[in-house]
Amino acid sequence: MIRNRWLLLLFGVIVGGVFIWAGALKIADPLGFAQSIKNYQVVPPGLAFIIAIVLPWVEVLSGAFLIIGVFKRSSALLISLLLLGFIGLVALALARGIDTSCGCFGSLSRRADLSLILTDAVLLVFALSVFFARTPRQNH
Amino acid sequence: MRRLIRGILFIIVLSAVFGAAVHFPLLRRFAAGEFREGFIERREYAGIRFITLAETEDLFAQRTQGAEGLLFIDSRGRGDFAAGHIPGALNVPLDRLQRSRKTGPGSEGTGTFDFPGAHTLVIYCEGGDCQTSISLAKIIHDRGYKDIRIFTGGWAEWSAAGLPEERSP
Repeated sequence: MIRNRWLLLLFGVIVGGVFIWAGALKIADPLGFAQSIKNYQVVPPGLAFIIAIVLPWVEVLSGAFLIIGVFKRSSALLISLLLLGFIGLVALALARGIDTSCGCFGSLSRRADLSLILTDAVLLVFALSVFFARTPRQNH
Repeated sequence: MRRLIRGILFIIVLSAVFGAAVHFPLLRRFAAGEFREGFIERREYAGIRFITLAETEDLFAQRTQGAEGLLFIDSRGRGDFAAGHIPGALNVPLDRLQRSRKTGPGSEGTGTFDFPGAHTLVIYCEGGDCQTSISLAKIIHDRGYKDIRIFTGGWAEWSAAGLPEERSP
């Protein structure tokens, strides 16, 4: 368990910043993101649309809360769960041979591949470090 | 634990409220039946329409009777295209094109998106959940073609209906 307060703060800012940025790009292009979700061929189009409306805000809010320290552990856990979901989704797409853009950063998205899984895994380690950290003053 | 879950639920509910508020016009259009076949912004891609098997058959009949300016485009990969396609269709494999555009112009495939003499383009891919026809339609639309029809049933529906097929060597 990491106890260094400054290191944990840095992890929170990195993960939170990435999530705010990723969410904001998706909010700007909800149809593009809905199409990306549909491309993974996991959920029906109607559900893809609803996810495209709500998920970017979950990313922005949990990222912002993680940085400012409100609902910090809830945000860290939510982000960790999302990252686990993203990793699973990309792994599934790779296993099924689906060649698609990840949809992670709106129009700046890259291909859903192994390096993306590694990036998500690093962010997951950062988010879990914040979640499991025991600091003297804890919010939720 | 309860506080953790309460915090997560709060974030999700707040996100749903913000999402619904910001994208309310989109939600209304979705409720009215739009975006069921593909997430295309009608205002941005006014020249793209989704068509059924019957409409595709009709266009195919027009083409075989000599109608000019009508071109069928198959956005699947080379192998799938060679194994069977709509007679007279042009293969524009989107996956190759995207890779070739990254490695430089003209390195592979039909990279120009120029279809001389064609003004109505019918694009299809495998059918079902395939998305290359929509992606290709958007690219071609941006290059100036304003009458693009996407046959959503794709090759699967065409061949299942027992319609004419053509193979490449």
